[in-house]
Amino acid sequence: MSIPKQPLNQRVLKYVITFLIIAGSLWSASGLEITPERFLTAPSKVWILITAMFPLDLSQEAIDRIVPKVGESLFIAWAGTVIGAFFSFPIAFLAANNFSLNAFSRVTKQILNVIRAFPELILAFVLLPITGLGPLTGTLAVGIHSIGTLGKLSSEVIEGIDEGPLESIKSSGGSKLNELFFGVIPQVMPTITSYWLYRFEINLRASAVLGVVGAGGVGAELINQLRFRDFPRAGTVLVVTIVMVLIVDAISAAIRRRIIKGRDIRV
Amino acid sequence: MTVVGYPFALFFSIFSFFQVGFNIDDFKRNWENRKLVTDTLFDPKWDWAIENASLALLETIQIAILASILGCFIALPLSFYASRATNQSTLTYVVYKSFLNFIRTIPDLFWAMLFTVAVGLGPFAGVLALVMFSLAIMGKLLSETIDSIDLGPLEAAKASGAKHTQAVFTSALPQILPNFTAYFLYIFELCIRASVILGLVGAGGVGRIIETQRIFLRFDRISPIIVLILVAVIAIEQFSVWLRRKIL
Repeated sequence: MSIPKQPLNQRVLKYVITFLIIAGSLWSASGLEITPERFLTAPSKVWILITAMFPLDLSQEAIDRIVPKVGESLFIAWAGTVIGAFFSFPIAFLAANNFSLNAFSRVTKQILNVIRAFPELILAFVLLPITGLGPLTGTLAVGIHSIGTLGKLSSEVIEGIDEGPLESIKSSGGSKLNELFFGVIPQVMPTITSYWLYRFEINLRASAVLGVVGAGGVGAELINQLRFRDFPRAGTVLVVTIVMVLIVDAISAAIRRRIIKGRDIRV
Repeated sequence: MTVVGYPFALFFSIFSFFQVGFNIDDFKRNWENRKLVTDTLFDPKWDWAIENASLALLETIQIAILASILGCFIALPLSFYASRATNQSTLTYVVYKSFLNFIRTIPDLFWAMLFTVAVGLGPFAGVLALVMFSLAIMGKLLSETIDSIDLGPLEAAKASGAKHTQAVFTSALPQILPNFTAYFLYIFELCIRASVILGLVGAGGVGRIIETQRIFLRFDRISPIIVLILVAVIAIEQFSVWLRRKIL
């Protein structure tokens, strides 16, 4: 008995992909004028930067400046996520093709795709002249982008529900609204809530960089310290940000696990 | 949990909105400024954008291609070390796992800022930043996939005399390759999106042009660039969706 051969087109595809990967990276590297030496010398240059950051600038003044900025990023991320969750929830029902009209669902999905295509930073600097320099701009940018991503994810959750409960509500005389409140929402809520938290974790990173264009948060602090070559203080900004992100990630991951898996029951 | 959780979430939300300065009066006053944007945003200067931004857009795409390929292939071996299923030593497992968690906490643009300082302004800093970005995502996704592989083939390979690395190579790697391909395409899309903004901190690509025009509020020049980016992103996404369906 011989081992069955892979179909020809599969094998051809494998070579095509290998070729694409190699050709793609060579084309990109030559276009960007990147040589192997630059990669080899990069680690030592990064090491020089890292050593310049230590010891960190832990003076009272530095801490007093940096911690509120990191807090601002946290608030931007949370408020942005709340905006995203609040608006994406009803939109998700419009976009789910098992719950709304077919044409409606298609249009809503396209709108969500367009919203999603704009990075937060681009939204931020278009909003900047209207909403002013400061955290409000960042919040709105994060919020609008979250509507796009959360809307897409939530609508996919709604599309994947078990139709059984809906049918039983219908057969016992429930209205369409009853179906929504007793059939769909209880089923999708745990997953959607955990997506909200997951989005919050992503938004935290997004809000940290928004300061680069002046939309609030810790990003402005980092880019300024790096521009003034004040590396110890830039290091402090980085470390405080990393610690905050690690803590928030850990809490959020614990809550998500609890929501999805439920409480541990000891037998 | 619910008794504490919901009120706390509500309280924290209200507190956050106060902290970010959600003030209706300010908003109304600033609303007058909208003409600064809307007058020019919807009057795109197409000729200017195509003439000045297409090379930079190409650079952006090249950064994303190179960085996602490098990042994902660096992540491939690391993920095996960062999974309990294929790494027997607790020490190296913890080291690799925490390394991946650590690089995941730093946002992409922070990497870009750091690398522009370390290796100089230009696309090379952008490539390095996105390598870290894709390495972090691929490392997390892939190591979690490896955690949940079927351990049977691994055991069978060992029972027939394979060393641990050989067993991993022949029986764990083929199990995760389809996932690896899917994640790679997903990360490539993320990198395309991320590479657009790298230029804002001087790390190459089309963001550089956006940044210089943004300072002068030339939204008439920015909006066609944004549309060009959108078209490129959507085209690449469609290609990746098509490829994914073809492969998987």
